[in-house]
Amino acid sequence: MTSSGAPSRKALSKIATNRLQKELVEWQMNPPTGFKHKVTDNLQRWIIEVIGAPGTLYANDTYQLQVDFPEHYPMESPQVIFLHPAPMHPHIYSNGHICLDILYDSWSPAMTVSSICISILSMLSSSTEKQRPPDNDRYVKNCKNGRSPKETRWWFHDDKV
Amino acid sequence: MLLLSCIPLKTEWHAVASWTWDAQDETCGICRMAFDGCCPDCKLPGDDCPLIWGACNHAFHLHCILKWVNSQTSQAHCPMCRREWQFKE
Repeated sequence: MTSSGAPSRKALSKIATNRLQKELVEWQMNPPTGFKHKVTDNLQRWIIEVIGAPGTLYANDTYQLQVDFPEHYPMESPQVIFLHPAPMHPHIYSNGHICLDILYDSWSPAMTVSSICISILSMLSSSTEKQRPPDNDRYVKNCKNGRSPKETRWWFHDDKV
Repeated sequence: MLLLSCIPLKTEWHAVASWTWDAQDETCGICRMAFDGCCPDCKLPGDDCPLIWGACNHAFHLHCILKWVNSQTSQAHCPMCRREWQFKE
């Protein structure tokens, strides 16, 4: 997956640039445990390495998150997907899309890349089986042409995993 | 007598007042800039870039919370506590 449907590649607004620069500095001083930001000169797309937490099904597994920021971040949520291969998880589709409410309907501009990462790791850590969502094939087929997960109408039905 | 001309010019200055916003947090939860500074769209802190409180007592730069409220199609929520956003009376 290279250009997996970054929603709008409009340049970041001033407030977005400003906030992302601050987030990056904070991340460098105090990165969330289990995550590594891959240094690039692209402020609008972050590639983040995730290491599964010890004592969970994903211990020592590494995955990559791709975070794309819209022009009006943080008024709009970033697009967050797993790059191939995405972890096997009941809320993560094989195309990397993540069913997690804070990335869509429940987004708040007080959230940060760091807090999103912690939510995703916590979602991974609480999983009891490495399995795809039951509707994986149907969903992925519907997402051809690199559709963004932000265009999906998600139903959030399970807050246990 | 030309004594007066010998008095050195004073270069020090005296502040007559200082100010700070009376908010619990130090930074705006939306733009992450200090409350004593201004939002990223303004140049000078102070009355032109005021803070505003919600009914839930969370404070933001007025310009920041307006951007958030106006970007929502339905009732906006407080970015910090998710209660329905109402401006404090």
